[in-house]
Amino acid sequence: MRANILALIGKVVVIVFIIAASIFTLSPILLAVLNSLKTNGEIYTNILSLPEKIQWNNYIDVFQKTNYLRSLLNTFLLVLMSVSGIVFAASLAGYKLARTKTKLSGLFFGLFVMSMLIPFHSIMIGLVRVTHDLHVQGSLWGLAIVYVGIGSPMAIFLYHGFTKNIPKEIEEAALIDGCNEFQLYYKVVFPILRPITATIVILNALWIWNDFLLPLLMISDKNRYTLLLSTKMLFGQYTSDWSQILAILIMALLPIVIVYIFLQKHIVKGISDGAIK
Amino acid sequence: MKNSNRILLIFCLPAFLLYSTFVLYPALGGFWYSLTNWNGLDPTYGDYVGFSNYKELLGDENFKQSLLFTSKYVIYMVILQNIIALLLAVIIESFEKTKNVFRTIFFFPNMISMIVGGFIWLFIFTRVFPYLADTIGLMILDESWIGNPQYSFYSILILSLWGSVGYLMIIYIAALQNIPKQLLEAARIDGASKLQINWHIVRPLIANSITIGVFIALSTSFKVFDQVYALTGGGPGRATQVVSLNIFSEAFAMQSRFGYASAKAVVLFVLILGITLIQLLVMKRKEVEM
Repeated sequence: MRANILALIGKVVVIVFIIAASIFTLSPILLAVLNSLKTNGEIYTNILSLPEKIQWNNYIDVFQKTNYLRSLLNTFLLVLMSVSGIVFAASLAGYKLARTKTKLSGLFFGLFVMSMLIPFHSIMIGLVRVTHDLHVQGSLWGLAIVYVGIGSPMAIFLYHGFTKNIPKEIEEAALIDGCNEFQLYYKVVFPILRPITATIVILNALWIWNDFLLPLLMISDKNRYTLLLSTKMLFGQYTSDWSQILAILIMALLPIVIVYIFLQKHIVKGISDGAIK
Repeated sequence: MKNSNRILLIFCLPAFLLYSTFVLYPALGGFWYSLTNWNGLDPTYGDYVGFSNYKELLGDENFKQSLLFTSKYVIYMVILQNIIALLLAVIIESFEKTKNVFRTIFFFPNMISMIVGGFIWLFIFTRVFPYLADTIGLMILDESWIGNPQYSFYSILILSLWGSVGYLMIIYIAALQNIPKQLLEAARIDGASKLQINWHIVRPLIANSITIGVFIALSTSFKVFDQVYALTGGGPGRATQVVSLNIFSEAFAMQSRFGYASAKAVVLFVLILGITLIQLLVMKRKEVEM
């Protein structure tokens, strides 16, 4: 009897805790959405209530005054170029490194893995200089190839680990059938690598979409701003005009929320696969 | 050269070219710049000055303060992030139907850039909290959460935990799901209590994931930037200036002393490398003992 009561109390505590934690997690976003649809006066007097009259104007204003679509397109192109580059460069290298047992392959692999320990802030000064000297600063494709350089080691590590676990026989059979090395790679190996490619695409797309510091250092032309850069710039302009700021923030969140709703399962799987390896 | 090596070189060429240009070369360059007096305006990249930047660092109170502040942040983050993530994972795994709903909710902030998340929390701290304090009298909320350094530490912490706990939670959920069900069933039949099962069976089996969780929390919180940049900008004054922000403003916002900032970056690199290596060694050894 007593054990039953204790178990019940325990259950109630757990449920209360988890619901409180959920409210804590979601309320900042919900409050931001709610207040982005109010006037500034209403935010001041009644921050928790529903808007008296929904102010779509906040969004229309922001949409007209800012380069939202342009920044969205920029960010999308940047992620697309960077992630395809990473998948291309890293799958080639990771696969071949796992299949070649020479001193050179050990050296290469060691170099790539070691660099995963270097924090970004330790390379950023040198990076600004080298991109300036090579004239790749200021453009989206330039930023993308920098992302390929920084993102490849981790992807190579994942491709390497995945390749080790697939049997060699298929490749040997294809070679006997007369494939050359490159046909073998893109006709036979790359399709087999698909599961780990999905993980790599998810991890890198999220990282680059949400990365702030590197674009901040590399992009100064407004027309090439990413979503985060223009959000940050607008935030500075609209000091304490919260109804507009919140509308900007929600617009910046929107794409990722939509992606999350539709791809939630794959994203969670990609995150845990990527971290455990 | 062996044929296999030639093919290897071709396959590695694209990755290695970009990697060495944009990671290796800047990293090695950083060591060199840290020995020069190069400032951003100087087209000749400065002169060799030996270890004078490092000597100056020893007496730099601002940098020391930012190291201390970052260390405090790291300690809080490593402990809280892992405990909360593990707790959430254990609770959510014990649910049946609502498992996915809660996982989706708690992971959600992780999808958001901490720049955007930071601005949203700035609204919460500067508008919603004072409002709540006025209307329902929650006096603990009536503090200067951004302006008072004592409290802004906690606002940075709250924002960071909010944004990062979900990630570790996913890792711990995956670890819990990998535990063979028969093992838990057998212990239950033998009369072990829930706590006993968690401590004696689950804990050793997820030890490897805890090592990963601590490693991730350590290395990411040492590098914290976005959260502080968005929430306090390092202020008031330099009270919440973490190391990465200190380096950033030394190089790109203030006097453009690239040489001196590089010395700071080298220190950060050595620090992160040393601490994470020690952590991995110690925890790997513990895992074997368990």
